[in-house]
Amino acid sequence: MRIQDPRLHTFVALSSVLTGVETVQLFGTGQAEAYLVTLGKILPVALLDDLFKRFEALPAEEIEAAVEHQVLDDTRLGCVAQNIILMWYRGVWRRLPDDWRASFGAFPEDENHLISGAAYQAGLQWEIAGAHPIGARHQGYASWSLVPTKPNRRNTA
Amino acid sequence: MSEPAQYDVVIVGAGIAGALVAKRLTTAGLKVLVLEAGPDTTRSIADYTSHLETFYAASAKGAESPWPPAEAAPQPDGGDLFKDKSLPANSGYFIQNGPHLYGSTYTRTLGGSTLHWLGVSLRMLPEDFEMGSRFGLARDWPIRYDMLSPYYEQAEHEMGVSADVVDQRYLGLRFSESYDYPMHRVPPSYSDRVLGAAVNGMRVMVGEDSVSVQVRSYPAARNSIPRGSYQPVGALDVDADGNARRSFLGERCEGNTACTPICPVQAKYNANKSLAQADRRHLTLRAQAVASDILIDKSGHAVSGIRYKRYDDPGSIQHTEEIATGRIYILAAHAVENARLMLVSGLQSQSKKVGCGLMDHPALYVWGLAPFNVGSFRGPQSSSGIEDFRAGRFRTRHAAFRFDIGNDGWHATTGAPDATVNDAVLKQKLVGQRLRSHLEDQLPRQVRFSLAVEQLPNLKNRVTVDPSNRDKLGNPRPVIDYEIDDYTFKGMIAARKVALAVFRQAGITDCSSNAVELPFPVAEYEGEKFYYHGMGHCAGTHAMGDNAETSVVDEYQRSWEHPNLYLIGSGSFTTMGTSNPTLTLAALALRTADHIIARMRKHNPGIEPGPRRRKETQRVNPG
Repeated sequence: MRIQDPRLHTFVALSSVLTGVETVQLFGTGQAEAYLVTLGKILPVALLDDLFKRFEALPAEEIEAAVEHQVLDDTRLGCVAQNIILMWYRGVWRRLPDDWRASFGAFPEDENHLISGAAYQAGLQWEIAGAHPIGARHQGYASWSLVPTKPNRRNTA
Repeated sequence: MSEPAQYDVVIVGAGIAGALVAKRLTTAGLKVLVLEAGPDTTRSIADYTSHLETFYAASAKGAESPWPPAEAAPQPDGGDLFKDKSLPANSGYFIQNGPHLYGSTYTRTLGGSTLHWLGVSLRMLPEDFEMGSRFGLARDWPIRYDMLSPYYEQAEHEMGVSADVVDQRYLGLRFSESYDYPMHRVPPSYSDRVLGAAVNGMRVMVGEDSVSVQVRSYPAARNSIPRGSYQPVGALDVDADGNARRSFLGERCEGNTACTPICPVQAKYNANKSLAQADRRHLTLRAQAVASDILIDKSGHAVSGIRYKRYDDPGSIQHTEEIATGRIYILAAHAVENARLMLVSGLQSQSKKVGCGLMDHPALYVWGLAPFNVGSFRGPQSSSGIEDFRAGRFRTRHAAFRFDIGNDGWHATTGAPDATVNDAVLKQKLVGQRLRSHLEDQLPRQVRFSLAVEQLPNLKNRVTVDPSNRDKLGNPRPVIDYEIDDYTFKGMIAARKVALAVFRQAGITDCSSNAVELPFPVAEYEGEKFYYHGMGHCAGTHAMGDNAETSVVDEYQRSWEHPNLYLIGSGSFTTMGTSNPTLTLAALALRTADHIIARMRKHNPGIEPGPRRRKETQRVNPG
């Protein structure tokens, strides 16, 4: 799916800070658009706009700490941010907690579900483990006998 | 019966037992009908791929997730175990009376449960056949290891088992001279190697015996590097006309870590491979045909037909009723279904033991964190085990056991990596680089053992039917009574103790002992809770023996009462031992096929002789 959503780059930039994974790798999953569409189907536009505006207003230095304080610690935006992390790592949408739903709205699409078979395979959790999704993207005969290598990382301390 | 029989042999069930027998009988020129309850959607690459897509898209990726049943042929599902809060548990396919939940399942689709089995192809130990005379428990089998040994060799070639015989000579297991498996062993995983380096040779006391522990590669029906001229059989691709196209996919295990529930490339054996090697001139395969009744002739003994309900649409129960006739009938529908079909037909056997003696390997998980990255979540789901506790003097007092050493982290136990991610994000509130570093550190260190514990045949553990509880097609559902006894509980205690000693020796931090509220059936013994799971090893429901008073079938799996009826599969097991049952039931099936061929030849000398030598039964690619 190709969409021209101007919010896509903001979404992926925010996702990169939340997941600890480079934007190029996030785009490389092929799921960025699908996840943004999923968010749009489940949550009201105003909520997403607030999330993205909050992120864009943060200072570039110490961005991770800023996201923790300004986004994760926010009672309204924090749970949504956690769900974005779960989407990227696992390919799922998690039903928002009951107290969140009571305060900010119970949306009909907000139910536990796997986003798609492709999202399952694209989950970051597999590559982060130095592995592959169970049942897909095999590593080849006897590869499992080799000394495991660390997953590729750039700019790591 | 005035009409001549339509077929020489009618087989109910196209799983491994039925497929192996169908291949051998048709090769000998016998005219065979195979009735399969489930749909024929597993033999072309396109169909198989759609099952794979079903798996990818499933929220819960249990053993049955790629293989949803037809409306007319329901099957048990791991998820059923937790639908009902109290017994009897009635909302799945089984009606479970307890007191413990029977945790195992099977698949009603062409190919049967080999579609989602793990592929472990261990032989039973010689002493496993002699539990009565050696330990004063249960009964001896009517056959001995050495009688089955040639058929083990044939089964290992039919299924394509990878192992090095040099690894497999332990606890009395013996092989004929110069024998080796058709393919070299599947390479052990890195985690197997480092675990072995840490623990091999350590000694553990079990009862009065000091046992030396070894991490050992187990025989697996997964394609590896062939020996000699053996040609591995990869993915099947049968077209609509029944012609098998050559496929190079799956001639080696690729390490998809998904043996259960679906090998994406069919590098792991499934029964459809054998069925595709049957002589098509003599084989009629009828899928979506649910056997509902065994008909008996006026003598009251001989089977005169199998009534079955045939449906056109797996999403509907619309069906027509037909009767299949043959000279010989073989039930190969899995341990629970064989018993169910006998009982609904009013065939309880003289011994009244049909359905009685249901067994499994109730299994515990023990899991922990290795001291360094061992490369979890790579390779086949497991590649090694610890087999040293499959035998010993302790068997007079408690069950034997074996360990399967996972390559899939805590996937089977906690639901990792998903559960690990959830814990990190939602409980530990980790985010960004700290989240990533935590997962990179934890996930590749996850280790799990599955401790499969022997169970003895207890006549109270059984399959019955209740005519008031029927499936949508009108066939009575299986009712299960099941209890884990002291012998097995004591084996569980011993197994857990050994597993934790191995963990300590390897520096693995145990993370399982304090885990609570696990998503598995639970049983209590002497104040301790045991979360156990079924291994899919349903057995014992039509046990073999040496007389009609104490058993249902003879050593050839022939019904004592019904001379033209055979009940084959793990239901025939007299006792269970600790080995995964598939290889043994395959060997038994081949032995039965040879017996039937010899029997039919007496009446019709035109039938090709079996058994053939191993060289001639080597598998070639279909087509």
